[in-house]
Amino acid sequence: MTLETLNLILLGGVVLGALYALMATGLALVWTTLGIFNFAHGTFIALGAYIAWQVASTEAAGAGLLVGAGASIIGMFVIGMLIYYVLIKPFERSADIVVKSVITTLAGATILENVINLVWGPRNKQLSPLLGGDMSVLGMTISRNEMAVVALALIILVALGFFLQRTSLGRAMRAVAQNREAAQLMGIDVERLFAVAFGLSAALAALAGILIGSTRFMNPSMGSDPLMKALIVVIFGGIARFTGPIYAAFIVGLLEAVMTYFVGLYWSPTVLFVIMIVVLVAKPEGLFGRHRKSV
Amino acid sequence: MRYNPSFVRGSGFIPVLLALAVLALLPLLTSSMYLRHLLVLAFVFGIVASSWDLSLGYGGLFNFAHVALFTIGTYAFGLIGQTLGLSPWLGIALAGVAAGLVAAVITLPILRLSGIYIVLVTIAASQVLYQIVISQSDITGGTSGMVSLPALNLFGYRFNRGGKIGYYYLALMMLVASTIILYKITRSRYGRAIVAMRDHKYYAISRGMSETRIRLFTLTVSAALSGMAGGFYGSYMRVASPDNFGLGLLGLLLSMLLLGGAGTIWGPILAAFFVTMVSEVFAAYGAWRNIIMSLLLIVILIFYPGGLWALLQTLREAFAVARSQATASLRRRFGLQSREAMTGARETLIPTRHGRIAVADTGGDKPALLLIHGNSSAKEVFANQFKAFCDRYRVVSFDLPGHGVSDNADPEKDYSVEAFADVAEDVLEALGVQNPCVFGWSLGGYIAIELAARGYPVRALAISGTPPLRIVPEDVGRAYDATSHFVLASKLFLSPAEARDFATSTTAAKGPETIHLHRAVRRTDGRARAYTLGKLQIVDWPRQMRFLRSTATPFAILNGSNDPFLNHRYFRDLKLEQWADEPDDIEDGKHAPFLLKPEIFNKKLAAFLHAAEAASRRDADVVA
Repeated sequence: MTLETLNLILLGGVVLGALYALMATGLALVWTTLGIFNFAHGTFIALGAYIAWQVASTEAAGAGLLVGAGASIIGMFVIGMLIYYVLIKPFERSADIVVKSVITTLAGATILENVINLVWGPRNKQLSPLLGGDMSVLGMTISRNEMAVVALALIILVALGFFLQRTSLGRAMRAVAQNREAAQLMGIDVERLFAVAFGLSAALAALAGILIGSTRFMNPSMGSDPLMKALIVVIFGGIARFTGPIYAAFIVGLLEAVMTYFVGLYWSPTVLFVIMIVVLVAKPEGLFGRHRKSV
Repeated sequence: MRYNPSFVRGSGFIPVLLALAVLALLPLLTSSMYLRHLLVLAFVFGIVASSWDLSLGYGGLFNFAHVALFTIGTYAFGLIGQTLGLSPWLGIALAGVAAGLVAAVITLPILRLSGIYIVLVTIAASQVLYQIVISQSDITGGTSGMVSLPALNLFGYRFNRGGKIGYYYLALMMLVASTIILYKITRSRYGRAIVAMRDHKYYAISRGMSETRIRLFTLTVSAALSGMAGGFYGSYMRVASPDNFGLGLLGLLLSMLLLGGAGTIWGPILAAFFVTMVSEVFAAYGAWRNIIMSLLLIVILIFYPGGLWALLQTLREAFAVARSQATASLRRRFGLQSREAMTGARETLIPTRHGRIAVADTGGDKPALLLIHGNSSAKEVFANQFKAFCDRYRVVSFDLPGHGVSDNADPEKDYSVEAFADVAEDVLEALGVQNPCVFGWSLGGYIAIELAARGYPVRALAISGTPPLRIVPEDVGRAYDATSHFVLASKLFLSPAEARDFATSTTAAKGPETIHLHRAVRRTDGRARAYTLGKLQIVDWPRQMRFLRSTATPFAILNGSNDPFLNHRYFRDLKLEQWADEPDDIEDGKHAPFLLKPEIFNKKLAAFLHAAEAASRRDADVVA
């Protein structure tokens, strides 16, 4: 293996990691605050990408990628909040919320995927890249678009970190995640916060969808594979800390890139899943999670 | 072991038999191939959904690899029947074994996990299974799956002949067999252990159950059933598709499970038919079908979280309530003479705080004797006492709300020991009766004690078949014998066989003399049983016990010596001070000595009442 191949693998891993980090933090946000796993997160990715395409693409409205992305992110924030009120809120106090939310989010995913299919059809589409052309870093030729994807993802994650750590809304969200009852006693409107968390998660998914759509093709079921990867990432990193899934995302991205090269496209997901199961059994709180008594 | 009647005696037997008969005859009535195909699918999905219910509903283990294990069954069938060329029958059997083994392997990593983590690991596990299957494309056909799998044949009869009629009956038989297995498991010691582990893990472990073994057993058995269904599915559809590992089929089966109602076995089977049929109704709508089905699922879960099974129970309750009220109204109108002949007393309808109450009253200006009947009975149970005591006493008895020819009432506020004591107060007031002697039988005994304990003036108090309780529910376990038909006392719906059992052990076997008591059980509003016994905990038991220990009111316990419901030692340990010193159990009186041994009982009650009156006269003299 030449140095150049290694660099290519590593770069591919970093790009994957950046995308996974965006998806996984969105997923982890809902999981920590609401305690449920959102199976519609994958279709949020697809819907976000399609909304951006509808606004941005010259085949449709043609308003440009920047406007498209903005419309998509704001639109998905609203849709995410609505979906919280329809799919999660009615079951919030029910004893089997965990399993009920699985089926309602799966049903929601089915609905959204079929809606995408009806509106935009099953044919592959593509968003225009963020930046055109290549650039040269340390003697390697890299597509400027991929660099932009990584940079944008990192900026958004830093901003999200700032939001969660420094703003009152973000702190309220973390408070609810840690102890819902106590947070409610402190006067936090938990229900509104849940809706905001869901909306924020959907907006992050939309951004991930746009970045995927600008580097690869998009189709109505484009979210299902990233959803599985995000699942692995979240379990890998644990949800105790906001940064856990981010580290895990880059590790998984790099692992995947390396394994695709060495063990092939078919086996790399298997190995990832097996590693995930092992992590979950050995350290259920995640690689970067602190040990807590119960799960 | 607690009373656990066989399925044949339960109330589900006849509906199940009817449904089976319809399904067995349907292919003879209609030649529609399409309907037959849908029913075969419903049978297969019924097996998968109901066996999933064992782990998810009963065990509380969210095994989301269940559907992947079904698909493993299909592939195992393909490998054995096609790749290895062995008998397809062996393929179906080994499909179950294969799914069970894979399930056991999947169980290992989730032994120490709970809740959502089990969901995630099992979903990951089904993805691993999917990846393994599609990566072995030279054996499994990769992403295009295995095609033209062998069809079944038996002694030269080919199952895909005659419109696949053989498959239809085989699937039906498999559904019946799997349901019997699941039903037997849920009612066995293992079934109770599975539920115990779900409801209170640490208590169950402290009682010696092994979480590991129970999880392994639950997941392996439910996977084996699902795997055999998968094997059959392979021979019927003749393809094994890797698509079935995906979230699509998972969502379909999960919706059956949740729509039917988890933890019921029957609900998911019902929903398998419902979902299969409804989704076919929308088959022509393409992508709209999935949208409509998903919306329907969400709407039903929001507005009817208990699912179809709960809906069925609601309908059944409404029907049973209407039926029992209609019975009461009819009997009130047409059976008056026979009832008055039995008691020799006039029957009137008296409005009370808890509905209109039928009262039998012999009248006259004599000391009053109030008789209160027990659970699922009626005032006519005291026919012998009416006749024996009416010359010296004004004998009064009434039908409790929801019993006899009284009206059904609001279960929330009218069916409880306290409400029944209110009714007794209201009846006595309406009749202008003061300071009665009170005899209460069984549940009526608690009503009698409650009446006296709240300060209502009572001249004498006698109970039969009623163990006074100190704390509930602990003392219920100590005072009653759980092997008896006692469990039926709080049951909402009694099947005919159960009603017969309950009437027989509370009173006597069915015969011309006791037929009205058996009818009384059938008439009783089931909610009166369920709510009254369900609300036993809110009765002020310590007050009752304080009253019994401190009162000057003469008090007697007149039990049958061989009462099947009672733990007689409990009475001895209570050491309640009574009218007579010697144990006063009536030989062979069972739960209703006043009915079965009227002469002895009446003599004892008369002696007690006589002594009580003498005592009250003495007191009156002292006061004077």
